[in-house]
Amino acid sequence: MSDDIPLLNAYIDGELDPAHALEIERRLAADPVLAAERARIEALRGAVARLPRDKASTGLRMRVAALTSAQPVRVGARAGRSLRWGDAWSAKWGAKWGTMAASIAVGLIAGSLGTYVALGPGHEPSVPQLVVASHLRSLMASEPVDVTSSDRHTVKPWFNGKLPQSPRVVDLAGQDFALVGGRIDVIGLAPVPTLVYRRRLHLISLMALPVAQAAAAAAPRRAIDGYNVVEWTDADHAYWAVSDLARPELEEFAAAFRAGEAEP
Amino acid sequence: MSREEKARFEQVVMPYLDDAYGLARWLTGNRTDAEDVVQEACLRALRGIAGFTGTNARAWTLAIVRNAAHDWLRKNRPQAVIQVQDLEAIERMQSGAASDGAASAGPTPEAALIARAEEARLEAAIAGLPVVFRETLTLRDIQGLDYREIASITGVPIGTVMSRLARARGRLIASLGADR
Repeated sequence: MSDDIPLLNAYIDGELDPAHALEIERRLAADPVLAAERARIEALRGAVARLPRDKASTGLRMRVAALTSAQPVRVGARAGRSLRWGDAWSAKWGAKWGTMAASIAVGLIAGSLGTYVALGPGHEPSVPQLVVASHLRSLMASEPVDVTSSDRHTVKPWFNGKLPQSPRVVDLAGQDFALVGGRIDVIGLAPVPTLVYRRRLHLISLMALPVAQAAAAAAPRRAIDGYNVVEWTDADHAYWAVSDLARPELEEFAAAFRAGEAEP
Repeated sequence: MSREEKARFEQVVMPYLDDAYGLARWLTGNRTDAEDVVQEACLRALRGIAGFTGTNARAWTLAIVRNAAHDWLRKNRPQAVIQVQDLEAIERMQSGAASDGAASAGPTPEAALIARAEEARLEAAIAGLPVVFRETLTLRDIQGLDYREIASITGVPIGTVMSRLARARGRLIASLGADR
């Protein structure tokens, strides 16, 4: 019987020519053991076919879509992974991120493609475009930050040793802008500290660029691909805030950050 | 890379991203590595898109994913690859004799029991198959490709596809019948 098993499988799969198919049918009629094997194979096929189908995640889909576009540079999420305390945090916030991911997914698909097209080969991307691209890139990564903490006394030291200067970190929880964490982006060729804040389900990326680099930047545009951008400068840095948050709220954030008291 | 090549990549590869990911997930055994494999495969597909002759985009895409997954396995799961080579050797020695020890070892379960097999148990049984059996079964019973397509993707004759599939199913049936 065992010699018949591959043929039986091929018969069940509809892969046999009529002559062999007839031969197998004849044996099936004569051999109850072979007939029982047929029932098992068909049951197995059915059970395997009912397994849930794998679906490529939105993140993977976006990363593959980005292959055919210019790719913004960002310090790899992988490199940062070991530095993250993500796990405990993820368990706590995982559900919220899920909702947030859903809320940004649609915007991402429309927004990021537009940005990548805008960044296509042929012309040097401007600072505002790079800032928005980095923000989008972070939304596509498994987590938007490489250090996760709502405590500025944790976030600020994380930048020490990675960058010449750690950024000013302001606690804005009282104004309903919760600190999510920080990461390092690369704008042009310079690594810059980025803080991430959250209001409701909207993330805000706040990048602190060296003033010299910012001076070369084109005049900020108010919105790029539907993302609002607010820019201001202090003595040391040019700050760029990017979010899908409504413009008045993003300006409220900028005002709160400027007025906010830096850590002692 | 030309604009035409990018457009072609989007037409040829993007529609099969779920299939690509599914195959990579079954071969690597986890989601993160599967995503890495798919990204690597897409890079290769993009570079080689000019070589696609336009007959079967899905099989072409899956062949690249399969090769990227095997490269990943060689690098990260050399144990699994050694197993593949052993199996190939056994297959050559048996040269067509299709009996599979694993299939006849355990108690043979009733068809009804197989049909009711729990999802997790079935997934674990598939995950426990040697790579060549697992990929053949995945391509046939999960992705629904025909023998000819599977032969071209895995680079073996149709007869080998047939015997691998029979053995893969035989092993699954045996393991579903084994003690819980």
